[in-house]
Formats: sequence, C-alpha cells, structure tokens
Amino acid sequence: MTEAERLALASLLYQLADDDFLYAYRGSEWLGLAPHIEEDVASSSIAQDSMGHAAMYYQLLEEIGEGKADALAHVRLAHERKNSVLVERVNGPGYYMENPEYDWAYAVVRNYCYTLAKKVRIDSLKKSSYAPLAALAVKINMELYYHLLHWQTWFTQLYQSTETARQKMDAALERVLADFGDLFDYGEATQLIDEMQLMEDQGVLLDRWYQALTPVLVDLNVTLPEMNMTYNGRNGEHSPDLNDALSTLGEVYLLDQSAVW
Amino acid sequence: MTETFYQEFEIFSKRTPNAAFTHQFSLLAPNKEMALMMAQENFMRREPVVDIWVVKREDIRGMTPDEKQMLQRLDNKDYRTTKGYGYLKKKWRHYEQQMLDEKEIMSWQGGDSK
Amino acid sequence: MYDATHLFEPPVMTEEEKLEHFKERIENGEKIEADDWMPDFYRDTLIKLISMHGISEIMGALPEKEWVPKAPSLRRKLGIMAKVQDEMGHGQLLLRVVEDLMKPYGKTRADLMDDLFTGRLKFHNVFHMPTRSWADAGTIGWLVDGAAIITQTNMLGASYGPYARALQRICAEEVFHAQHGESIIMALAEGTPAQKAMIQESLDEWWESLLMFFGPATKETTGTSKQDVTIAYKIRTKTNEELRQNFFTKYVPRIRSLGLVIPDPTLRFDEETGQWIYAQPDWTEFKKIIQGGGPRSKERLALRQTSYQNNAWVREALAETIG
Repeated sequence: MTEAERLALASLLYQLADDDFLYAYRGSEWLGLAPHIEEDVASSSIAQDSMGHAAMYYQLLEEIGEGKADALAHVRLAHERKNSVLVERVNGPGYYMENPEYDWAYAVVRNYCYTLAKKVRIDSLKKSSYAPLAALAVKINMELYYHLLHWQTWFTQLYQSTETARQKMDAALERVLADFGDLFDYGEATQLIDEMQLMEDQGVLLDRWYQALTPVLVDLNVTLPEMNMTYNGRNGEHSPDLNDALSTLGEVYLLDQSAVW
Repeated sequence: MTETFYQEFEIFSKRTPNAAFTHQFSLLAPNKEMALMMAQENFMRREPVVDIWVVKREDIRGMTPDEKQMLQRLDNKDYRTTKGYGYLKKKWRHYEQQMLDEKEIMSWQGGDSK
Repeated sequence: MYDATHLFEPPVMTEEEKLEHFKERIENGEKIEADDWMPDFYRDTLIKLISMHGISEIMGALPEKEWVPKAPSLRRKLGIMAKVQDEMGHGQLLLRVVEDLMKPYGKTRADLMDDLFTGRLKFHNVFHMPTRSWADAGTIGWLVDGAAIITQTNMLGASYGPYARALQRICAEEVFHAQHGESIIMALAEGTPAQKAMIQESLDEWWESLLMFFGPATKETTGTSKQDVTIAYKIRTKTNEELRQNFFTKYVPRIRSLGLVIPDPTLRFDEETGQWIYAQPDWTEFKKIIQGGGPRSKERLALRQTSYQNNAWVREALAETIG
C-alpha cells in the first residue's frame, strides 16, 4: 500500500469510527431520560453496540499506525473529525445533566435514517478490498438487524399514532434530511477510495438507501423532504455542536493523557 | 387521570434450541411489536437466547387460589410410574437378564444399541 | 360456561382467620404471590419499600449518568453505559413488582411518577449527592453498590415471591457493578499521585453517605424506621445496624489495603463486643436529605421531571397504538 493509499484507507476508517462514536454518544445522553423505562434499557443496548463498533474501527486505525485507539477517540479536535454532521447534532436544547429539552421524534428519525444508511454501508463494506474491514463488516452486520427493526418499529408506530406525533416526526425528518448530504460522501478521499475498491460509489449507496426507505414512507403516506448538506463532515467541517461534544467526551481522558484510567 | 399505554406483557424465552420456554419477567408496552423490541434487552442482556415469546397478560388464563385445589392428588398412583414396577428388577435377575430401566432406555438416543 | 367450583368452595373465612392463615404461610416459609390474599399492612409495607427501592434505582442512574460520556477510555465508556443501563433495568423490575401490588388500588406507573414529583415517594440518600469526579463513579460502583449488595442480599429470601425473584436478578448483576467499580478504583489507586488524590477525596466525600445508606439503627433516631414490620413478616432478616456492621467487616480492610484513609479516626473493631465502633453520621442531615433537601435533590428531580414532561406526547402517542 502506498502512503497515499494508506491515508485514503485511514480517512474512510475515521469516517466510520467517528460516525459510530458520536452516534453512540448522542444515544447515551438519553440514558435515564427516554420516554419509557423499558425503552431506556433497550435503546441503551443499541448505544453500547454502536460504541463497540466505533472501538473496533479505532482499533483498525491503530493497526495501520494511526496511534492508540483511545487517543484517536478522545484527543482529535473537531476539524480532524470525519463524522457526518448528522450524528454530532444535539438531541435538543439543554445539557444532558440540566434542562435537557430532548426531542424523541428527532432521536427516532435520526436513528432510523442513520441505521438504514449504516446497513447499506456495511453491506457494501462486506465486499471491501481491505480484508480486515470486510471481516469487521460481517461482524457488525449481525447487530444491525435488531437496531434497524427497533427504530423502524418506533418510526412507523409514531407516524401512525396522534396528529401531534406526526407533526413532530415530519419536523424531525426535515431536520435530519437537512444534514444528511454528507452521510454517503467520502470527502477528499473519494477518488482513492473508489480506485482501491474500499467501498462502492456514494451514488450507488444513496440509491440503495432511497430504495429501502421509500416503501416505508409510501405506506405511511410521508413525503421525503429535500436532502441537503450544511457542512461536509467528511472534510472536517462541522457545526459548533461537535466541539461541545468532544470536550465532554474527552474531559477526564485529557486530564492526563499518559495516565492509565 | 389520562389514559396510559401501559399494557402488561409476560416474556418467555428459550436458552438453547432444545430447551423449553421459561418465564422471565413482565414489562409494560403498548403492543406486541413494541414488547418484542424491548424483551431481550430488558431481561436477557447477558445470556444466550434463541427464541422469545411475548404474551399479553390478560390472554393468560391462570388459576385462582381456590382453583389450585384441582392440583391436589392422592399419593396412590404408583401404577403410573416405574416405582410401581420395581420388583421386576429382581425377577429379571432370576432370568439372568438386566432390567431395562429409565436410565438405560434414555441412553439409547440416536438409535445406538449398546 | 358451567361453573362447579361452588361445590368445593371453602367455608368463608373471617378476616381474623385469613390473617392467621397468612401468618402460618409466612411462618412455614411459603412465598406470597401477587394474587394471594394478604393483609393491607403487608401490602402497604411492600409498596412503600419496593417503590422506594425501585425509584431509587431510576434516580440512581442520574448521578452516574453524568460520567457516562466522560468515562476516560472506550472500554470505560462501554462499562459504565452497561452499568447505568442495569440501574434502569433494576428500576424496571422493581416497578413491575410494585405496580402489581398497587393494582387493587387502581394505581399505575404514572401515579408512582406523580408521587415522586410531589415528594410523597422518596429515594435513597446517596442519590441526592453530587458526583464531582470520575473517582466518584468508581466509589459509587464499588462502595455504594457494595452497600446495596449487602442490603439486597439480606432480602433474597423475602416472603413476597415476586420481590425475591426480582432481587435474584438484581443481585446477580450487582456483582458486575461491584467489579466495575473496583476496576475503576484499582486503576486510580495504582495510578498517578493526582489519581490517588482523586479517590481519597471521593472517599472523604462519600463516607458519611455510605453509613447513612443503611438507615438509622433505631426508630428513635428519625422516627421513620420500618424495620420491625419487615423483619416480623420475613421480608428481611437483619436490622439496619447489623447490615452496617457487615459492611464495615467486608469493606474496611479492603479500603485500607489500597492505602486509603477512612475519614473517621474513631473507627475501630472492638474485639470484646465483636462490633465496629464508629462516629455516627448526622441523622438530622439524613432526614433532611431524603425529604428532598440534599445537595442535588432538586436538580435530580427536575431532570427526571423535565424529561417526563417533554415525553408526555410520546406516551399519548403510544396510547393510540394499543393492540
């Protein structure tokens, strides 16, 4: 592998790792605050699984010489992060320990749309030319069936309940799609990722995502809002939400990076 | 008071393909689909499970304390069990044969004849 | 459907006979089940005990939750997430038990939440306290959960079957919690001077709360102890003081072995009486704390209340999906 190719691989792995890391973090902020105790317990497992996936991607980065997995997760600054803007967005106004005005409709829509995209991406990664990544995709895929069904159940049931719920779901879908534009993007590494056959073309993946989502939306009589890109997270462009998230996530680790915690 | 969605579901699970379903616990959910989405993570986070049933509690016909009287039996039914035929062991010994007891017969699984 | 059971109807028992029969069952070590007849005071004692236990688990998720995203490695993040999830899970188990007990009164989980918000339902003193550092997350896992293991295993044989079964599940998971806490503490104890200072500070902060956790030794101390009824009806076996003494025996040597100093110079084991001698915590403060006057009582309640109210629309939506 040339150095340029190694960097392209690293870029893709950072995208995958940072996505699940931030997604799991946003999920974990709901701990103790979900609308129903049984759901609190169930969705915490999904956040844990996702944090576990992030840890495995960071491990692959460690193996290609990018540094220690924990340092990669905790030290890198916002402009070095390659996650989609969608997963860094706050759950709602407030802080997780103070006045969290969290929006469950946004959580459900974001989680469903993200998990559906993750499933499409993982299916493609199973055929990746980078064997360790392909092997990891096979493993991660095993946990996605439950994640997807869980959020699809919430998505369809809330859409089929009260008028208030439907309005909140529509508003959430609008916000999620407004940030969705960078999700299948590979940023600056696009060309090499394609040439190395690390993962399929973003257009192909996006089509598959639409194809999977459309029948669900048709059943619910929902029109998909326009997809946009506010920032391209894949190139290290992010909203201010990410900075706040990173200072919380790294608060203890950064007290002493050389200490054993 | 406003109407709640709290329906009671009883959760059962199977640990291995050969195991029987075992009752785990109960949870509150609005419907079967939601109950199923919550069952494993609430009660079987750390143990293997190969199948789950969610059953609405009101669909279970249980027994009242009085009805539990129907469970009583006299202890005079050894004709139903091997206990009532224990004397055969001695008989077979007389014919220089071993008795085919439960342990022996249950060991034949797979059609092996030892 | 033809119902022949009337032919077998047992003679109608008077209230006194029912109570006698109930007491006999308890004496014989039988388990009382949700549908069985039980005297009101037994039901009410259980409701009070288990609702406080259950809501304490739910409220107990909040002080630790603060450290979930902040946990200092990927593995610690996973471990503490699983631990806080278990606390919610324990709350779920216990609330289910108490909800079945409240059914004859026509009450549901929604009423329990109302009781919490209006202050009728109290939660354990330890969950009114702030968690100031990562070491506090370790202390909670190791010592608060250690104390909880002692009180909960004391009720594993509880005469009320559903509670005993819930505790069986809970105690099995508490073993993981204690080890999760020990692992955090061990890393700090073997770490840098700053890390060591962090746990000592945490122990200093939490010691008094840990002693309070077991409740007052006698009713006279606060006037609210329920221990007599719970022992008489075999819900628990040991008194508050016996449990606190167990805690000392199990944990004092372990705490000291890590080089930590317990912030009570009078603490010692008296060979003659076989009892630990210790400085009493401030029981007036204890009373104030559980009545909602603790350092974080208001914030924690507000946190739970905000999320409960924000999510009201979800519960209303789900009510439309009943099937």
